[in-house]
Amino acid sequence: MARKIAGPLVVAGLSVGLLAATGARAEDAPALSAQCQAPAGDIAAPAPLPNFAAALAARKKVRVLAIGSSSTYGIGASSKSRSYPAQLHDILQKALAGEDVDIVNRGVSGEVASTTAERLRSEVAIDRPDLVLWQLGTNDALSRVPPDQFEQTVRSTIGWLKADKIDVVLVGLQYTPKFSRDQNYTEIRDTLFKIASEENVLYIRRFDAMRFIAKARATPTMMSSDDFHLNDLGYRCMAEHIAQAVIANLFVRRFRPAVGSGP
Amino acid sequence: MRRPNEVDFWRGFALVTIFINHVPGLFYERFTSRNVSISDSAELFVFLAGWSLRYVVGPDSAKVPATSLVFRLLGRAAQIYTAQILITMIALAVIAGAAIWLEQPFLLDWHNAGPVFQDAAETHVGLVLLSHQLGYFNILPLYVVLMAVAPAFAILDRISPWLLFGLSGILWATTLALGFNLPTWPVEGRWFFDPFAWQFIFVLGFLMARTDAGPGALARRWRAVLRIAAAPVVVAGAIAAWLVWSPTPASVPSPKLFFMFDKTYLSPARLIQFLSVAAVFGGLWARLPDWFAPVNAYLSMLGRHSLNVFCVASVLSLAAQIGRYVYGGGIAADTVVLWIGLAVMGYSAWISEWRERSPARSSSRA
Repeated sequence: MARKIAGPLVVAGLSVGLLAATGARAEDAPALSAQCQAPAGDIAAPAPLPNFAAALAARKKVRVLAIGSSSTYGIGASSKSRSYPAQLHDILQKALAGEDVDIVNRGVSGEVASTTAERLRSEVAIDRPDLVLWQLGTNDALSRVPPDQFEQTVRSTIGWLKADKIDVVLVGLQYTPKFSRDQNYTEIRDTLFKIASEENVLYIRRFDAMRFIAKARATPTMMSSDDFHLNDLGYRCMAEHIAQAVIANLFVRRFRPAVGSGP
Repeated sequence: MRRPNEVDFWRGFALVTIFINHVPGLFYERFTSRNVSISDSAELFVFLAGWSLRYVVGPDSAKVPATSLVFRLLGRAAQIYTAQILITMIALAVIAGAAIWLEQPFLLDWHNAGPVFQDAAETHVGLVLLSHQLGYFNILPLYVVLMAVAPAFAILDRISPWLLFGLSGILWATTLALGFNLPTWPVEGRWFFDPFAWQFIFVLGFLMARTDAGPGALARRWRAVLRIAAAPVVVAGAIAAWLVWSPTPASVPSPKLFFMFDKTYLSPARLIQFLSVAAVFGGLWARLPDWFAPVNAYLSMLGRHSLNVFCVASVLSLAAQIGRYVYGGGIAADTVVLWIGLAVMGYSAWISEWRERSPARSSSRA
């Protein structure tokens, strides 16, 4: 798995070793499909997931909350079973052999981060997940939410989750040629990257990975007919990227390796 | 038409605040009450909806027959339901129209409208069952449920306001302890405003409006003491909101929802803080200076027609979001949005007033 991707081989190797030590088998760590290949630096900005790792070591059943907007709900997918959380469930279930992985999908299409943050707190209080996957940013960019306001919402929620000892993965904005030069879009993306690196939170660089794939391989397309939302394959790649980043970062130490270059 | 009064004034205030808060990123959002309070205009709106229920039910001395009361309240529930369906359809058309006109089909996913177009069969059933609610269009579904059970509240209140207070409070506490809520469908999730929890603040509004017996009478007798006790709570709420601080589930004992600042389940902290704000600011209206009269008249006019104004404002806030997407935000653009919003809300209240005053319609009262 690690040989296929350029990038933090040491980190990946370390995590594979630790995975083996905690019962998950290294050979089951997810490999990327041919259509979803992208450099590791474009897939994620790494950060440790100590609480999720502890939960995996302590329990046979882990709960993951996938919350966000249309990309979480699965707009553009042919059915609910092709949304990214559903596909991620299958991948993680295989990769973390012996664990029962429960993923709850709480995507509400077209929602801005401040509303999602309100729902997130309710869900966390009631369901007590071990890991939160928060997909965000696109609607704030398009609703022209000022980046400083967006930043305050995201930072206060991350702080709250940290105090609650729950790891969070930020899943960034999608790539679409239409908005690749939109100022708000770029600003929100930069803000998200900055928050993730300053808060030492795992950040899935969807924009970069999708852009890489779109430029490297014209076909088959990952986009649905509106040229904005993903299709089944797009969600497959999104799930694979998140799965790989989560597994690779499960046992990373507190030190943040210098990977990737800017947002 | 009623003269301006305190309840209509604050309802108008809540309507304007809700409009502003429903345009994400709007510059004026930072001046709304939720920046200095852990509760927001949703609590105020539902509390005052309960207060207004008292006017429909009438005083204990002049009892409306129970059957006519039940029909009247269920009729009101049906009217709110109709309003919800109507504004939902208009909002869907606004979203779809923008997607077509701007040739940007991705706009179809805004405001939780995505499933309506992608999973049309299931979601249409959900729209009619109120189990699918567009983003920000989630207060009226709560209001429909509350009004549908309002006959029970009214009858319990006639038996004893303390009985209603106790039963409503037990239901609220049980809901917080067990975390139950109505599900959303076909999108998996829960109602944004849990009716089992939010009924309590509606009932409290209804009970506080009663002057002769129950908690309302007691609160009036101890008003000065309550006001003094409430002041520190208001200050503490303001500090917590300003610091964007709220307790985490890990730091509190079970049942967690009791100790959090949860909006969906109306956690006690939010409720107590709201009631404290009401205790501190209640009565202030009577002492407003003369120069405030035009604002008072305007907000009271909105409050007198709150359902109509709410519906118009809901669609307007959606239109404002699309406008801000196309033309961008910023102080200048947002000032235009705010003034258009205030003008259209005022106009819709004025039209409602005019329609009521016209002789042909004088018998019906919205």
